[in-house]
Amino acid sequence: MTALLQVQGLSKRFGGFIALDEIDLSVEKGERLGLIGPNGSGKSTLVNCICGTLHNEAGSVHFDGRQIDGMVAHERTHLGLARSFQLPRPFPTLSLVDNVRIPLLYTVQARSGLLRPAGDLDDRCRDLLKMVGLDAKATRFPRDLTQVEMRKLELARAVAAEPKLLIADEAMAGLSHSEIEDILALLVRLNEQGITVILIEHIMRAVMSFSQRIVVLVSGRKIADDTPDAVVNNPEVVGAYLGQ
Amino acid sequence: MRMPLFTVIALGVAAVVYLAGKLFAIDYLFFAGYTVLHFVVLATAWNILGGYCGYVNFGSAGFFALGAYTTVFFHKAYPLPIPALIVLAGIVAGLVGLGTGYLTLRLRGVYFAIATLALAIVLQTLVINWNYVGGSRGAYVIRPQTAPIIGSYIEYLFLLMLLLTVLAVVVARAIERSQLGFGFATIRDDEIAAEALGVPTLRLKLIATTISGGLMGMAGAPFPYYIGYLEPSSAFGLAYAVNAIAMPMIGGTTSWIGPLVGAILLGTLQQVASVTISSAVNLLIVGILLVAFVIIAPNGLVGLVQEFLRAATPERMTWRSLGVLSVAGYGIVAGMFGVVFSLSAIAAARPALGVLALVVSVLLIASAYGLLKLQSWGLLLANASFALSIVLGVIELWFVGGVGAGIMHGGAVAIAVAAIVLLQDAGVKSLYRVPPGERRATS
Repeated sequence: MTALLQVQGLSKRFGGFIALDEIDLSVEKGERLGLIGPNGSGKSTLVNCICGTLHNEAGSVHFDGRQIDGMVAHERTHLGLARSFQLPRPFPTLSLVDNVRIPLLYTVQARSGLLRPAGDLDDRCRDLLKMVGLDAKATRFPRDLTQVEMRKLELARAVAAEPKLLIADEAMAGLSHSEIEDILALLVRLNEQGITVILIEHIMRAVMSFSQRIVVLVSGRKIADDTPDAVVNNPEVVGAYLGQ
Repeated sequence: MRMPLFTVIALGVAAVVYLAGKLFAIDYLFFAGYTVLHFVVLATAWNILGGYCGYVNFGSAGFFALGAYTTVFFHKAYPLPIPALIVLAGIVAGLVGLGTGYLTLRLRGVYFAIATLALAIVLQTLVINWNYVGGSRGAYVIRPQTAPIIGSYIEYLFLLMLLLTVLAVVVARAIERSQLGFGFATIRDDEIAAEALGVPTLRLKLIATTISGGLMGMAGAPFPYYIGYLEPSSAFGLAYAVNAIAMPMIGGTTSWIGPLVGAILLGTLQQVASVTISSAVNLLIVGILLVAFVIIAPNGLVGLVQEFLRAATPERMTWRSLGVLSVAGYGIVAGMFGVVFSLSAIAAARPALGVLALVVSVLLIASAYGLLKLQSWGLLLANASFALSIVLGVIELWFVGGVGAGIMHGGAVAIAVAAIVLLQDAGVKSLYRVPPGERRATS
């Protein structure tokens, strides 16, 4: 079985700073992968290179059997990649329903080539908002949301694109205990529906319970790629986190 | 509202405007009306790129002149009827828009604005050095005395521009309500997020520059026939670049109605000022209003109205909020025209009356702003300034002769009385009793 996402020798530098150094990563279809690492280790840069927000200098990215590095971001989204942003980037002048409507219009519809009636779209938008508990604020604007709600909107918008691979970049930062449980349950449910999930997170409890496999980045290098239990006992990982 | 219905209504409004013009049977009305209308087209076109997508185009004059010079070129090379020229100018300017977009859209913000400014200068330099279209000497385009069927040629030009206005407004509204409009809004808000959600931003931006440029060119196509003598400095004039930006900004950039309102208000104001004071003050008026709006009402008139409606009537519109809205709207329009009229009165023989009128006009504008912002001082000021305007109207009626002036001042007094009566309504008063901060907290 070929991997859904195959990253080979991926490197990215900003001037003299090497942000990513020959990263190899493969994610199987249906897998739940955790991606961790200290701040500045290159997690978000890796996501940006996979999703096309940034372009890598070396290496290749294959998704669903096709080479995607070189494609612009929206083409990769059309192929079935979706991500949430670490710092939420809602569209401030659009209401919440319309925020969620964008991927439906531009990705789901473009992919299927079918135009859905406006009423169907509205229902789907509200369903997606309900999924993250934002249905009561559907006609409000992002400025009326708390940081936590913005993260939920971010996630709803990414899911709206009906991806094969969902990359959740710190979707849980700042959330309360029960809210983390809610989001985790949601991600597991999505995973059961067949969506492969990469979870980037600092909250170890969440990563440990969610992931089937964990990849650790430190200073732009991959230092571990193993089961959760093996990773937390890996001396190199412990060293990186505790500064030994 | 569905698009076909909207188109029919727009055409109906256009027909009423045209017939109203016919009723007065003054060629000058069509002459002045044409100027206002071509600014409506220009402002609407600018807004498709500037308002919907958030890319500020400083080179509107370049696209406008491109349309005008397309006409000059064909006038010499192969004379065509003006509707055909409008289509050709739209194609030429649209293609240049597409090319400009391709070259510049990787630039953002101020760099894009500078690039468009440079484009206008490059085009102007080209035209100045192109003898065939008159070069720096300019070109004469002698318009026929009469047009078929319609008769007066200026009326024909007005009618064409009226239809073009309907086209521009219908296109702008159709975009706003469509998938394209949502895509444009995401570009304005956050391009990176838009790309990540599957919006092909570069392609959408190219569509925007093409439509926007094309409409600007179309607005310019009949211009040589209108003006009779076209020179580069008038076609590439500062007035076009500035007005194309200022009118949508003052009206409001997020919807089709903003540029329409802004262009009608500013265009008419400039026409009135040209007649009563001097055309030299036109840019001054635009400049002052632009600065004032950017500071006081950054979302334009439409934004002010939307905020008012959101705060005053959370569920549905009531006749009260509609009444206050009309009073405030009247205050703004009457105040702005009042300023122009009173300045011309000061410059003429009646300085005392002019100063009084100036004070009343400024008070009207301020109170309208207060009313829309739901400030308690707005209600007080509105009562006071409308009372003052009654006094002023009566004095004017006493001193000034003539039927036209009589109707104008009599009407102003009647409206002021009606406004004061409306503002005494208990429901209206209650809107202004709660401090706005608390209202927002409870809603």
